[in-house]
Amino acid sequence: MELLNSILYDTVYHSAPIILCVIGGIFAYKANVLNIALEGMMLNGAFISVLVEYLTGSVALAVIAAIVTTLLWGLVFSFLGITCNGNVIVIGLGINLIVPAIAKFVLKVMELANISLQDVGVADFKINIPGIKSIPLIGGIVSGHPVITYLAFIGIAAAAILMYKTKFGIYVRVVGENEDSAISLGLKTQKYKYIAVLIGAFCCALAGINLSMERMAMFTSDMTAGRGFIAIAAIYCGQGKPVQSSLYAILFGVARSLAVNLSVYAGPAAGMFDTIPYIIMVAVLAVVSFMKFKDVKVRGYKFD
Amino acid sequence: MKKKDSIIKGIVNSVLPVILAFAFGAIIIAAIGESPLETYGVLIRKSLLTEKGFMNTLHYASPLILTGLAIAITFKANLYNMGVEGQMLLGGFFAGITGAYLNISNPFISKLICFLVAIICGMLFALIPAILKAKCNVNEMVVTLMLNYAVSKTLEFLTTGVFKDKSAGYVATPTIKEDVMFKRFGASRMTMFFVIAMIILVIMYFVMKKSKLGYEITAIGKNPEFAEATGMNVGKKIIIMMLISGALSGIAGAGWMLSDQFKYTLTFSANPGLGWDGMLIALLGGHSPIGILIAAIFYAALKTGSDSINMYTAVPKEIVAIIQGMIILFLAVKFIGDKTSVFGRFKKAKKEDA
Repeated sequence: MELLNSILYDTVYHSAPIILCVIGGIFAYKANVLNIALEGMMLNGAFISVLVEYLTGSVALAVIAAIVTTLLWGLVFSFLGITCNGNVIVIGLGINLIVPAIAKFVLKVMELANISLQDVGVADFKINIPGIKSIPLIGGIVSGHPVITYLAFIGIAAAAILMYKTKFGIYVRVVGENEDSAISLGLKTQKYKYIAVLIGAFCCALAGINLSMERMAMFTSDMTAGRGFIAIAAIYCGQGKPVQSSLYAILFGVARSLAVNLSVYAGPAAGMFDTIPYIIMVAVLAVVSFMKFKDVKVRGYKFD
Repeated sequence: MKKKDSIIKGIVNSVLPVILAFAFGAIIIAAIGESPLETYGVLIRKSLLTEKGFMNTLHYASPLILTGLAIAITFKANLYNMGVEGQMLLGGFFAGITGAYLNISNPFISKLICFLVAIICGMLFALIPAILKAKCNVNEMVVTLMLNYAVSKTLEFLTTGVFKDKSAGYVATPTIKEDVMFKRFGASRMTMFFVIAMIILVIMYFVMKKSKLGYEITAIGKNPEFAEATGMNVGKKIIIMMLISGALSGIAGAGWMLSDQFKYTLTFSANPGLGWDGMLIALLGGHSPIGILIAAIFYAALKTGSDSINMYTAVPKEIVAIIQGMIILFLAVKFIGDKTSVFGRFKKAKKEDA
């Protein structure tokens, strides 16, 4: 019972940053700008938030600084990729390389191995919801998470509404599906692409803050550990639909939490749980694409 | 005349990002109160101008040449194979295991078997995304990224569990037998592996520049629908390209294992990994074999030089990683396009916007 409880709690805990990356990435995906810099942007959020809180002692300032600097990376990405027409995959890779390098460089200059915060603890960020907390099982899962974890789950609904119920969402999708018709309709396609990338940067900053400051109250280099790439895979498997993509993100949360919680019983073999979501995703992608293209009768290579 | 023009453009497009990145790096070094000239001086002197340093640079360049080629052959056809890192790890791991457990007295044959095992591993890995891409049109980038993680997690499990060397104080596989390893030349780290890498580079030059397959790769990269319409079986070609890429990365992994590492540890390919470095090298070298050779040596020089920076100056060696990242970032933007100049590009973008 206690094990089940902690597995479920950890599922929510590990899913949150990936969900945030997913809802950040889907708008860029739908606008046909593949943002693989999610990983680097998330690390930037994690690093700057902890660094600023360490230097100034102000949580609010830390959050603002993290969001602003990550948005700057979003601007760099959009300027090089959209205005200068560079290859977005290469730009994404570049950002993913630079951000951890900068973080390590700054840590070296400050002569620290990692930053751990003294004046705020993990417990300060946890929110216990009064009524729900006392309900067995559910109370343990729903209550006791930091703010941004709740924001992540609310964000799924917000992203779905923004994508399907607002003018902005429709325009972004038009820009992605057929840029020429979007231009002929008089839409400023570049503007929508910029906004889509910046939404992604904003969400990644939140994911980073959640990862470092809220959950651990510390920063270690490479702490994002590929979560941004996982989010990209989740987006592809869910074809950019907010709810479906988030479900794939939760799948990773489940696997991670199983790996963590069962390692006591299974030893190193528990690490193999981590591979399950990757293999499931490859299988899902294969099946989805096969269904989509099974009626196309072109020899050999099929075009999208 | 036209050909000369495109060569000049290629050089400008590769050299300008490097200069810009070093300029930004200099600003950062100056910002922490050190001398950029002195730092860059140490970087170049220790990696290129001493005999031992230069041989070490060539040693580090060997696997990078191969991973660069592995990336180039697929990227040139607009096939984003991100799996080179995983293919290389898989090849290196099983070459290491084979080298440790194999009982053949002839060192040449045992080396050959190690390489064959690695090639097969790399090709098997590459076959999965290749078939999915060719038959079901699954995005190869996502599949290879996913498989990379699956492979590195699985190898981590095998290293900590099944194949763990109990006598070692840390997580590692058993050490390869001494006579299976390549012998070092003199005091440097350089081995026969560099010669092997150069031979493969020459072969790949002919494959990519002079053979029918090379022409077809370029054609598919320019326009796959047109290539299909002219009668090429694009799906089949994709599988062939991915298999070559897998084999090259397998060789890179096995060679790195047999010339440098002795055993598989969790930091086998270091951060950010030989496969990822290969991507930068392929981009920097403009996907051409000669460009890749120059880029790999340049990159390896940065790597050997970065250790000297740590030793002889007060600048952290992470500055080199920052410069590398910036090179990639600037490489993404072609400063001189195929037809238009950089200013023409801005004008065109503005027109599209209006």
